Amino acid sequence: MKKYLFAGLSAAVLAVCVSGASAQTQLNRNEIINSLQGAQQKVDVSADELQKAAFENIQKYPGANSPGNLPLWDKLASLRQFNVEITFDINSARIRPESYETIGLIADALHTPYLQGQTFFVVGHTSADGPRDFNLELSIKRAKSVRDALVTTFRVPGEYLEAVGLGEEQLRDPSKPDAQINRRVQLINVGYR
Amino acid sequence: MRRMIFAFATSILLVSTPAAFAQTVGFAEAIKILSASCGADINKYCKSATLANNGIGQCLDQNQAKVSQKCNADRAVVATLIQERLAAQAAAPKICQRDAAQRCKGVKPGAGHILRCLLKAQRSVSKKCNTAIDLAGYR
Repeated sequence: MKKYLFAGLSAAVLAVCVSGASAQTQLNRNEIINSLQGAQQKVDVSADELQKAAFENIQKYPGANSPGNLPLWDKLASLRQFNVEITFDINSARIRPESYETIGLIADALHTPYLQGQTFFVVGHTSADGPRDFNLELSIKRAKSVRDALVTTFRVPGEYLEAVGLGEEQLRDPSKPDAQINRRVQLINVGYR
Repeated sequence: MRRMIFAFATSILLVSTPAAFAQTVGFAEAIKILSASCGADINKYCKSATLANNGIGQCLDQNQAKVSQKCNADRAVVATLIQERLAAQAAAPKICQRDAAQRCKGVKPGAGHILRCLLKAQRSVSKKCNTAIDLAGYR
């Protein structure tokens, strides 16, 4: 699988590009822009507060699964946002090559005037598979890894990106806690700061 | 500059981009080109490198003597094209200033409002400004 993207695909294959074998959904830059643009209200939640809330949630409600939404989540749920699947090596923050293009698309979107100057949370989520504290730590590393890729390789100004990991504390589909749909990186536009 | 991205141009780029047209690329396109030109080298020399700290670019730099000629050459080309795109993005607002004043009166600056207006007004926008928008990859 690791060889998938860099295994010497020919120019011809790339030109045709959309093959049924592609592991990634066909994303495009404008889709990302459309989901993220139009920040309206001021948001009074900092990345640090959100991160802290995830740790506190585990302390306060120990057990196999989180009881529900994080207390701060209501303030973020209505903001402009975009969910994307980025694949990593197992139990690692190393981004897999098949996701490089997706991160490049996010960077291209962030480099447009529609999104420039606004701050984004880069939020990592896992499914409920595995221990909560392990998932939380892993999601923090992965969110940082995506942020770092955007800031270094893809030259997005670092002051506009904040990494947060929420582990399995804020599932996308609580009725299926172990499902793939919960594993995602979420970009949230928290507006002009 | 070469370290900036582990990047690459290939025949796709050279064949599919008409010479008269905007010659810059975005990051996603650069990655696509890279995967073709440098994929085998990355698999061979940079298996554990990460994207996060520019690791792939650094690894290809360190192995420059062993990496295929095509990969080295294309990285240099794409690095230049990306640099030119970023420069075009920085320059576009100024180049389009007069067009914006003429065609987008009353449009509130910020959040891409002016760009959206200029894109809509493409036919009456100056060639210089339209080219700047093309080079910036904003269309």
